[in-house]
Parts: sequence; structure tokens; C-alpha cells
Amino acid sequence: MTAQERERAAARFRQAAALLPEGFRRPLEALPPGEQAEIEELRLRAGQPLTALLGARERPVPGALAALTPGDLARVLEVATRASAHTALDKVQNGFVTVRGGHRLGLCGSAVVREGAVYNLREISSLAIRVAREHRGIAAPVASALRTGEGVSSALILSPPGGGKTTLLRDLIRILSAGEGGAPLRVGVADERGELAALWAGTPQLDVGPHTDVLDGCPKAEGLMMLLRGMNPQVLSADEITAPADAAALETAANCGVALLATAHAAGPEDLRRRPLYRRLLEEGVFQRLVLIRKTGGGRRYAVTNLEGEPC
Amino acid sequence: MLRLLGAVLVVGGAGALGLLAAQKLRRRVENLRAMAGALELAERELSFRLPPIPDLFSSLERRAPAPAGACFGRCLAGMDRLGEDSLGTLWREAVEETLPDLAPEDREELAELGEVLGRYDGEGQRQALALTRARLERNLERAEADRDSRGRLCAALGLTAGAFGAILLL
Repeated sequence: MTAQERERAAARFRQAAALLPEGFRRPLEALPPGEQAEIEELRLRAGQPLTALLGARERPVPGALAALTPGDLARVLEVATRASAHTALDKVQNGFVTVRGGHRLGLCGSAVVREGAVYNLREISSLAIRVAREHRGIAAPVASALRTGEGVSSALILSPPGGGKTTLLRDLIRILSAGEGGAPLRVGVADERGELAALWAGTPQLDVGPHTDVLDGCPKAEGLMMLLRGMNPQVLSADEITAPADAAALETAANCGVALLATAHAAGPEDLRRRPLYRRLLEEGVFQRLVLIRKTGGGRRYAVTNLEGEPC
Repeated sequence: MLRLLGAVLVVGGAGALGLLAAQKLRRRVENLRAMAGALELAERELSFRLPPIPDLFSSLERRAPAPAGACFGRCLAGMDRLGEDSLGTLWREAVEETLPDLAPEDREELAELGEVLGRYDGEGQRQALALTRARLERNLERAEADRDSRGRLCAALGLTAGAFGAILLL
């Protein structure tokens, strides 16, 4: 990490720490910038002191050894939602809230269930503030492989959960939208769970490029169709295609001449073909390329292949 | 001459006190009317746009009649203290600072609303706004009756007390 990247990461950490009440925020602000840049998460549990996740280990924060109370957790949530629980309710149902800066606030507590589905959480017991990280430039080789003259090939990004699909897709969107290595493209993003752009007050908190239109909080299938009808995109993008309705929307978009970028949980092309939802998408020619992510030590390697898994 | 001047001052002072009391009753009516109107706007905004609280307060600061708009603006300005103070506390402070002519029962109704705003789903908040508005409108009817009856009485009593004092002085 360069000094500039470290300073940016530390600034992002301080922005995430600002969600906490003063008594817990001050010790975090007093940490050395190098340490701030490395912290991935802050863990808050009622009855326990605040801890910071560095690498795989949770560590106590010097100067913040007092046990957190349920009231402290409620105040963090009030700040995170700008005292607007009604705007965050659907996100609470997903188990996390995206806050200003793109940081993600994971929630645990007693679930309030209505008609068989989680409606809300009461008595918050734990919070996990995951500091937003951007990995600019990681998708540059993938973007080069997908570019076709003035456009881009439709591609499905594959990896098991936690493989970095969303991070790669976000950077790919940014590169295509910014016109790095080719003409800038209008990208429409159906960001159902707010993970790609992390919209806050209408502004993406994570860089998705200057020619990107984001539809946030809307089911992917409806979002893709709304973008297609309203925003005249050259590329449409959605994270984690899992439902038949999402796949049907992708098919419609593909038939309208729009390039598609999407992600799916799968170990590889064979795993993908075993599932009817994806098999149909591949058979219909909705995607021309697969992007495979492999973890290698501490990093990741990306391979762009055709539908048979042969390198491009 | 000095006694005459004193008598004029006594009459004027007592009369002013009476008029001030009558004016406070008028201002309570104005405050209640403005706040009931603002809450109706808030209900509509929550039904239609479901905005976050800062956006709702910002909109009401601009659109609600005075002095209700100032109350929402004051609360909005205090929201940088969120985390140290709850929205309910900020709201209560804003009501006390910007609507000083309200009666304690009016302020109590609004303080209760502050404990609901931003804490429940849109429908729950809309219902709380409707309930508070209905209660404020009921208080408004009483306040208007008070203004019409006690307002005149206060002014007359002030002047009468002043005149009585002046007679004693002379």
C-alpha cells in the first residue's frame, strides 16, 4: 500500500468511526494512521468492549475498554440511518445497512417476524462496521479482455462466496464508465442491496465512474427493466443473479443489444451448467464470456474465458 | 404634575401587561395553527416520498408556515449532535426554543411526537403525525376560544387595574 493509499484508507476508517458515540470514537481517532488503515471492521457487542478486526484477529482498542450498552448500539444505528429507521427498514431485513462512505453496518438482535419474514430487529445485540475499501485498477486486465471495438462482451463473473466478485464488478463498471482503455460507456447498475455503488443521498459512495446510472434498493429484475427503458444504457450490470425473474430480465436486455455484466456464485463453468437457471442463460447466448476468480495466497487471479472455459 | 405623570405610567404599564397577556394568547393560536399545518405537510411527505428525516425537516423548514418552519430548521441544525443526543431530545429543545408561546400541554403533545419520529416505519410515523395534529387542532379550538374570551378580558383587566392604581395615586 502506498503512502497515499494508506492515508485514504485511514480517512475512510475515521469516517466509519464517526458513527460511534464520542467516548468510543476518540480512542479510535487516536490510533496511529498506519493501524487505522489496516483495520477492516469494528465489532460492537452489548456488554462487551469495542474490538477492531485486523487480519483474522479481533483486538481491543486502547482507551475504549468500557462495555458497550444496548443504548450505545441503538445510538450508532440512529446515526447510521440519520434517525430515519423508515428508510433503512428494507436494508435491516437484509441484515445490514449501507452508510455514508459506503461502509456497511451489519446487525444482530431479536428479529421481529411478520407473516413469516423478518420485518425488523429490536434490542440490537451486535453491530459490525465494515470499513469500505476500494481496489482501483484490479479489473483493468479483465476490461481489456472484454472490450470489443466500441463496446464490450457480456460477461458473467464467477466465484464461490467471499471471492471478490462484487469488488471486481465495481471496478469493471468504473473502468468502462470512465473510458479507461477504450471509449467511455453508459452503464446502468441495478444495485438491489446497495453493495456496488452504496448510494447515499443520491451520490455513489464508491467510485462507479462518471457515466454510470444507479438504481438502488429496487429488485434486480424490475431495476434492469427500468434502466433499460429509461436510461438508454450501453451496458447493464447487476450483482448476484439468483432468481428466475433476474435471468428473464437479463435475457430481455440481451435481446435489446445491451451488453451485460453480472455475477453468480459458482466454482466454475461446470458448476454453472449444472444449474438450470444459468444453463439456460448460457444456452441462450446471453453471456459471451466468463470471468473466473481464483484466490492465490493473499491475492486473487482473474481469468477471462469463453463459455467452454477456454482462455480468451 | 408629577402625580399625573405617575398615573399615566401606571395606567400605561398595567394596560401593556394586559395587552401582552392577550398577545401571548394570540401567538399561541398562531403557533398551533402553523404547527398543525406543518404536521399535515409532513404526513403527506411521508406517505408519498418517504424521505429520510433530515430531508423531511429541510423541506418543512422551507415550506411550513412560520414559526413551525423555524422549529424544523432548528432541529435539523442540531442533528450534527446525533449520537450524543437522541432525535427526541433535539426535537424537544427545538420546540422549546422556537415555539415559546405554546402552552405546556401543546409542548407535551409535540414532545411525544419527537419520540416517534425516525424510529418507526413510515406508516407508524404517519399515524403519529396524524394523531398529534388532531390533538393540536383540538388545543387550537380551545386556544381560539381563550383568545376571544380571555384575550379581551386581559386587556380590559390591565387597563382597569391601571386606572384603579391611578385613582389611588391621585
